[in-house]
Amino acid sequence: MNLLGENTWLNIVILIVGSAILTFISGALGILYRGIDRKLVAHMQGRVGPPIVQPFRDVQKLLMKENIVPDGAISWLFNAAPIICLATSVMPLLYIPFGQRALISEFGDALLIVYLLILPPLAFVLGGFASSSPYATVGAQREMVVMMSYEFPLAVAVVALGWRISYATNANPFMFSTISQYPIWELVGPLGIIGALILLFSLMVVTPGKAAKIPFDMAEAETEIAGGFLVEYSGRNLCLFYLADIIKTFAMVALVVALFFPYNLSPVLGIDSLALAGIVDGLFFLVKVFGMMFISISVVRTVMARFKISQASWVYVIGMTLISLVGLILIGIDLRL
Amino acid sequence: MFEAAKTILRQLFLTPATNKFPAKYAPASTTQFLNKVTKGELKLIPPVPVPPQFRGKIALNKAACTGCRLCISVCPTRAIEFILEEKKVRIFVSRCCFCAQCVEVCPPKALSMTEEFLLSNYNKYADELVIVDSGEAPGSKQEKKADAGARRESSE
Amino acid sequence: MTVGEKKRATYTIPVGPIHPALKEPVLLELSVDGEEIVDVDVLLGQVHRGIEWLGMNRNNPIQTIHLAERICGICNICHPFAFVMAVEHAAGITPPARAEYIRTIIAEMERIHSHLLWAGVAAHEIGFDTIFYLAWRVREDIMDLIEYVTGNRVTKAMFQIGGVRRDITEQQFPRIRQSLDYYKGIFDHLRKIFLEDKTIQMRTKNVGILKKEGALKLLTVGPTARASGVAKDVRQDQPYAAYADLDIKAMTPDILTGAVIGDTYDRIIVRLLEIKQSIEIIEQCLEKMPPGPILAQPKTAVLIKSLTKAEGEGVGRAEAPRGEVIHYVRLESGRETLSTWKVRAPTYVNLMCVPTILKGGQIADVPIAFASLDPCQSCTNRLVITDRVTGKKSVMSYEELRRLSVEKTKRLQQ
Repeated sequence: MNLLGENTWLNIVILIVGSAILTFISGALGILYRGIDRKLVAHMQGRVGPPIVQPFRDVQKLLMKENIVPDGAISWLFNAAPIICLATSVMPLLYIPFGQRALISEFGDALLIVYLLILPPLAFVLGGFASSSPYATVGAQREMVVMMSYEFPLAVAVVALGWRISYATNANPFMFSTISQYPIWELVGPLGIIGALILLFSLMVVTPGKAAKIPFDMAEAETEIAGGFLVEYSGRNLCLFYLADIIKTFAMVALVVALFFPYNLSPVLGIDSLALAGIVDGLFFLVKVFGMMFISISVVRTVMARFKISQASWVYVIGMTLISLVGLILIGIDLRL
Repeated sequence: MFEAAKTILRQLFLTPATNKFPAKYAPASTTQFLNKVTKGELKLIPPVPVPPQFRGKIALNKAACTGCRLCISVCPTRAIEFILEEKKVRIFVSRCCFCAQCVEVCPPKALSMTEEFLLSNYNKYADELVIVDSGEAPGSKQEKKADAGARRESSE
Repeated sequence: MTVGEKKRATYTIPVGPIHPALKEPVLLELSVDGEEIVDVDVLLGQVHRGIEWLGMNRNNPIQTIHLAERICGICNICHPFAFVMAVEHAAGITPPARAEYIRTIIAEMERIHSHLLWAGVAAHEIGFDTIFYLAWRVREDIMDLIEYVTGNRVTKAMFQIGGVRRDITEQQFPRIRQSLDYYKGIFDHLRKIFLEDKTIQMRTKNVGILKKEGALKLLTVGPTARASGVAKDVRQDQPYAAYADLDIKAMTPDILTGAVIGDTYDRIIVRLLEIKQSIEIIEQCLEKMPPGPILAQPKTAVLIKSLTKAEGEGVGRAEAPRGEVIHYVRLESGRETLSTWKVRAPTYVNLMCVPTILKGGQIADVPIAFASLDPCQSCTNRLVITDRVTGKKSVMSYEELRRLSVEKTKRLQQ
């Protein structure tokens, strides 16, 4: 690995410091996006909504509150689950390129991200089962079912993309550098574009499920099970879960953008300087993430009601899987033509 | 299929339906906010105006009260107290339920409902919340009688 | 349970007394197996306030009108309405015709407000907060109208024994018609949003089904019964106030869809149809309003004296937004307070059908199915504590309270 010369120790130090900085930056960005999301949703509902910096105040307030561990809970698991969740939510962001490149893009590709993104919901489930509350148990069960359901369309979409790209190049088709060199829209003909649009649609349906937002937030349903797996959490633990949820949303949307819209702005503007191009591309990436988040999370959560767990599972396991397979088949037919 | 979607997306561009009384966002410190308002540095956004004949805080015209205690017999919450020495009444707004039954029953029409509704206070026996005398209500029979009396005196 | 049938291992999830799904405290103990509900136990009494005791021991009937108003914040007119009718029945007072029409108008305004409130809360229960805000924003117009007519948004204080306290004058008619036109214009929009939206249909169709035989056997009242096909409505069957002059038909879902299933979707239909019906009733009342006085006895002091001397018992029935509410009143000569006062709120009987509609469903169906009954626990919880005779203060257990309650019912029946 060659971040700044050959010295292994220097690389390790840069990796550690870079990850810490990236955690802070992605946390701040995620919180800012969440604030903007709440403000836009409020205006769509006809009300004023909180100021955009409100989630920062939420985090500050949660850090000041008392951390209560219920008597019957498995306390080591109860306290470890939020930390695992936050750590595994930040990890995908080390691999997804913010425009030009990611921190350790050589060591991870899209398949690794798909696996890494299983871990935060798993930590939710562990936390839910470790709290000794029937509401938390029900919430954790639901989260498990939703998690298992949306893996199928997510995997089909990612693998379809990589499979098509593997016909265009010999490099690892799942690496983000390869994907940004061969965007799917330029590789396929008209039938394939329809297939790719179908895959994009299916990923956009997976995004609210992954981010646990309406219509797929039954694991945390406030009116049905009083907060689900979060019901016993308070104080610092709740703050970590809150941050993990925000960063996980950001990571999932960033994944969708990196897979389907890996375009950069600096070649268009003709910027040569590396630092300036990096900044411009980074900002453009953030704008893309905001647009995708608005469509697949903000609008969807304002316009729909919450599904039941049986309906959500049906939507993913039967509905979205079939649609993704149709997209895959269309891309395959387009390849043969 | 999603019937509300059109309305919802359109509302993104319309003004919100909220009446932003007293300020658009909750202030970080309420006491500082109120201090600034009293000093005149900040303006309160006014609340939705009340219609006429709104039942707000009660007002008592002490001069007209005859001490008949009919109001005490109809008050559902026992908010009115009889002051034996003066033969007048005293009303505790923190107990009042704003039914205006006493206003209807009072023979000399000494009681009336104002339009004031911002009544919160830390002390339920504060001076604003214990009505002893509010003077004459505007446009009441007593005022008209007093005006007529003053006009008769000046013409004599 | 037959031999060989496996007993399902269930665990209990409590919904209440404090729960985000409930507007008011009630305890539902659900025995669930996974996500499916196997058994439901309903425990009331979480918000008992001693209202009937106050009516019988501390208040004269005029004060009790305002107490009856505060039994519930949403059904704010139907309780004083039934109470005043009961007292008039007992004391033999007849309110003038104009007062009856004004009472009808106010009651129908309250019905519109209550059904819109319910619509918003039902949407909130299924997680559709946008419709919650929309329905309550639409409701603001009727609240402004109520404030204009009665002086206050919630505690309307319009009733007096023998009539009403405020008149609705000709100058107020244009403002009322303006609100009615607004609601007529927006009704179609509301109907489309609630009845044709795909996600609401997914959450409410075939959820919490109550068949017609079940509704008749469990004695449900109000929109819950009408949604199951039982066409009973107090305004149609035993008309009171001005309803006898108007043409009232009980609203059942087959008016709109042609079929009756008895699920939550049907209950939404019934309540929306009733909003439309209320608008038409108010319009008819405004046209037909007779001139005349508004109080049978304008002097309140004389009224209190005549009530102290009155003797008799009376029953007042009204159609609350949630069903049929009955007040029973007995007056004794020489006694300033009521001798007996019993309130039977509609939610009390509607709660009997909760196990039937929840069994076999999922936990996710509990809030919306329960909310579709429109339960108003404030109306329901006013159990009588009868230990004033001994003067001893003691904590009564549930069994003791129940025994006393059964004894009292037997006494009232003699």
